[in-house]
Amino acid sequence: MHPTLRPDRGANGTGKKPHPDVEFVFDRAWADELAERAARNGPWDDWTLFQLAVEAERAKLVASFDELQALRCLPALTPMPHQIATARKVLHEMGGRAILADEVGLGKTIEAGLILKEYIVRGLVRRALILVPASLVLQWVRELNQKFGIPATAQKKAHSWHSDFVVASLDTAKREPHRELLLSGDYDMLIVDEAHKLKNKKTSNYQFIQQLRKKYCLLLTATPVQNDMDELFNLITLLKPGQLGGQSDFAANFVADKRLPKNEDRLQEALSAVMIRNRRSDGGIAFTRRIVRNIEVKLSAEEKALYDAVTGFVRQRYDESGRDLASMLSLITLQREVCSSRDAVFLTLVNLFKKTAEESPMRAKIWELVEFIRRIQANSKAEKALELIRSTGDKTIVFTEYRATQEYLLQFLKQQGIHAVPYRGGMNRGKKDWMMDLFRGRAQVLVATEAGGEGINLQFCHHMINFDLPWNPMRVEQRIGRVHRLGQTNDVKIYNLYTTGTIEEHIVRLLHEKINLFEMVVGELDDILERFEREEQPLEQRLARLVLESDGDADIRRGIDALGRSINRLRADAKRAPKPALERVLPVLSVVPDGADAAAEVRP
Amino acid sequence: MNAKQIHRFVERYLEATGCAILEKSPAHFKVKLSPAADRELTNRPYYWSFVDRTGAEPETMSLLLVTDAAKYDAMTMEAEAAGAGRQPGSGSQGATHSVAAQSVATPSVAAPSVAAPSVAAHSVAAHSVAAPSVAAPSVAAQGGTAEQAGMAALSRSFGFVPAGLGARTPRDDLYFGSRRLEQLFAATRRGGRFVCLFQQPDERALHPYDSAPYTPWLGVNVKVGFVCDMKREEMHAFGVSLATGTVVERFFDRLQGLKLTPRLPANVHVAGAALTLKKAADLVEQALMQKLKTCDYGWAAAANRRLAEELAQLAHYYEPLIESADDKRREQIAAQYEARKEEIVWQLKPRVVIEAVNAGLFHLSGLA
Repeated sequence: MHPTLRPDRGANGTGKKPHPDVEFVFDRAWADELAERAARNGPWDDWTLFQLAVEAERAKLVASFDELQALRCLPALTPMPHQIATARKVLHEMGGRAILADEVGLGKTIEAGLILKEYIVRGLVRRALILVPASLVLQWVRELNQKFGIPATAQKKAHSWHSDFVVASLDTAKREPHRELLLSGDYDMLIVDEAHKLKNKKTSNYQFIQQLRKKYCLLLTATPVQNDMDELFNLITLLKPGQLGGQSDFAANFVADKRLPKNEDRLQEALSAVMIRNRRSDGGIAFTRRIVRNIEVKLSAEEKALYDAVTGFVRQRYDESGRDLASMLSLITLQREVCSSRDAVFLTLVNLFKKTAEESPMRAKIWELVEFIRRIQANSKAEKALELIRSTGDKTIVFTEYRATQEYLLQFLKQQGIHAVPYRGGMNRGKKDWMMDLFRGRAQVLVATEAGGEGINLQFCHHMINFDLPWNPMRVEQRIGRVHRLGQTNDVKIYNLYTTGTIEEHIVRLLHEKINLFEMVVGELDDILERFEREEQPLEQRLARLVLESDGDADIRRGIDALGRSINRLRADAKRAPKPALERVLPVLSVVPDGADAAAEVRP
Repeated sequence: MNAKQIHRFVERYLEATGCAILEKSPAHFKVKLSPAADRELTNRPYYWSFVDRTGAEPETMSLLLVTDAAKYDAMTMEAEAAGAGRQPGSGSQGATHSVAAQSVATPSVAAPSVAAPSVAAHSVAAHSVAAPSVAAPSVAAQGGTAEQAGMAALSRSFGFVPAGLGARTPRDDLYFGSRRLEQLFAATRRGGRFVCLFQQPDERALHPYDSAPYTPWLGVNVKVGFVCDMKREEMHAFGVSLATGTVVERFFDRLQGLKLTPRLPANVHVAGAALTLKKAADLVEQALMQKLKTCDYGWAAAANRRLAEELAQLAHYYEPLIESADDKRREQIAAQYEARKEEIVWQLKPRVVIEAVNAGLFHLSGLA
């Protein structure tokens, strides 16, 4: 007995409309059907069901325009205050069209789910389309089902487009034949995750989203402005054309320079009608603690011999090459690999050997190094890692930079009777999900080479071993972020393994003691590294140069200290400096306490 | 709806649809569905069309409906702790399968056997000596039956598998907003649309030679939605005497106090209907419209204001754009403009949507 949405003859036509500005849609089909059944004397329905139907409708009745109905339907979910505030604002002040621009990790998905659920409960959304990066499709499906009881399905075959709540990848959706199908329908709600992919209006992504017919629309992105003001204009205009005026109005009113806004207050006001941003700040208890332990590993005599041989080899080559840093990076890798596993060094040496001309004297030298590898019987670090894994007796994720080390560790752990599964960037989505599942279930250890990429959420695990440390601090932070994130209920224990008397010792000292990487607030590091690069060169290269050019251990130590000092200076600068102008205009709804800074505990 | 109300609701539904309750407590029901309920609730249209076409004996499903999850879990835990192997409900889960299940495919990628790396012997080939496959049951004890592995595989592929799919007696937690309860709500709405009932006369007052006069009433429950981009709802129950055209409100509540039966009782005569059902429905509509006149329409004015603002904003953006565009682009931009206008109207336009939840003919004692 759903009414069709057509203006009705009766009430409207006869001028008896209760209110002049409102359309009244009266469903009259019921009277005809009742008359028909009466004429045929049946069939009649059950009285109890009749009563239950009324009770059900009464229970579902949306009694007020503004009270959030979704909350009473979600016993399994306790949203955070800023998430509820965001949902309210989108529902009551923005009419369901908004850009959710929270900083990473504050739960944009939860906010979007709440808003979607509210509209569903109110009967305002029957069909919704959710477009996300391919790697996030299943995660969205899972969250909508488990946390929100929304029967979302992943788009797999053509027919799944007909489900009421479809999650699909934007890249699939915009391609034929899907594109045409989607453009011919209409959606009560459209949600686009990672919407910063919609900043350029010339792209097919942008045009596709523009053409989709939608009533409510949520665009989710943590980085609404990355480069220039035009991106901001495009994103807002996609959602609500005219919100910032025409392109030329916008340029005249708000743009001082490509990257610099003017009339900031007015711009912020215009933005606040369509955009919500929640930011993190210091203090508070939202996060559990990070407990960092640096664990010293002594190389065996054979391993130390290999390390020294490789170091000598690398420096010699560097001098020979006329101190050309670019060509040396792969050699630096060798030195770092020695600290990880002989397998990793071996693989790199093999490749190097193949690349070297046959008559080159280099070949003999490489061969010498291989001889050193041959003598190594055990991996001291792996033994240490095993000890740690055994002592925690709990789920543990082990990160390494090198594929060969990963293979070795898997093999090694297996021999020791520990169930470990791999995870790496090259795996396809299905395999990655499978490995995640195994790790969630039976496997005790996940050995991963990749921390980046969305979709690995490991809140259920709180032990992390850095088998070797990347030289790029962002990658370290990414690793930690997999485990130490919203939803983690335990303190996170981070173990950094480092080999004494090697470059690793210096790196740990730099990252941990000098710049306190492990205690930084999310986002802070980003800022500092960007500043560092602007002044000097990428940190990794700076480190490489330091290692190659230094004169002995003490020299490296001095260099590292100097590096630490300049990073700390930048950090202080960053704290003092106002937010970049572009960032400043974003309308912030609330500042969410973030405990990462205050609560990190460090133990040597 | 609290747990108690839900429990009562479910119980009445199960009874009304003739389901066999196998087991119950204040926190749960275990039922074998009746064919009618199975058709409504188990989402097996292919199975039922098979039964209908072949005339095969239908095998209905059993469900475990938990109306108070916390209490139920506590109960089962207690039962388990008591060592009584028979816990209420949970059919299949009980027996712990000790199957170590398919051993995990550990990386089949070459494991480096560096024992004697002969660099000359073609690099990577030397590298890919197959690793001795050590059997690794190890952590398997953490639990993993073949069934669970199967479920995990399904959920990997689809992201989510509804709880209980595949289990013999799937468990559903029924809380307000849960999918199963929503389904029950929808089922009652489909199964309780039109009724024709008679008031049961009071036994004592009945005199064998008397005939009590009855009046036929049209009763209808309507739901009124006040809709713009948000929505508020009201419910009204109207009754119209088909004899006199009298319209009353809160008619459903009045029915609640009566005993009603689908069969015409003895010694009763029903007054003739002076009104057609069509006419009675018109009276309901008039009464409702009268009522709606007194509502607050501030929300609609606000929505209209926003609608006008947004349309103006849109015009300000698109009109110059269309003006300055070349012929080729103009049409395209104009189409975009139109589409966007439609979206805004769709989103914001205030309207009142009136639908009937259900309706019936009620023959009640007395003349009115």
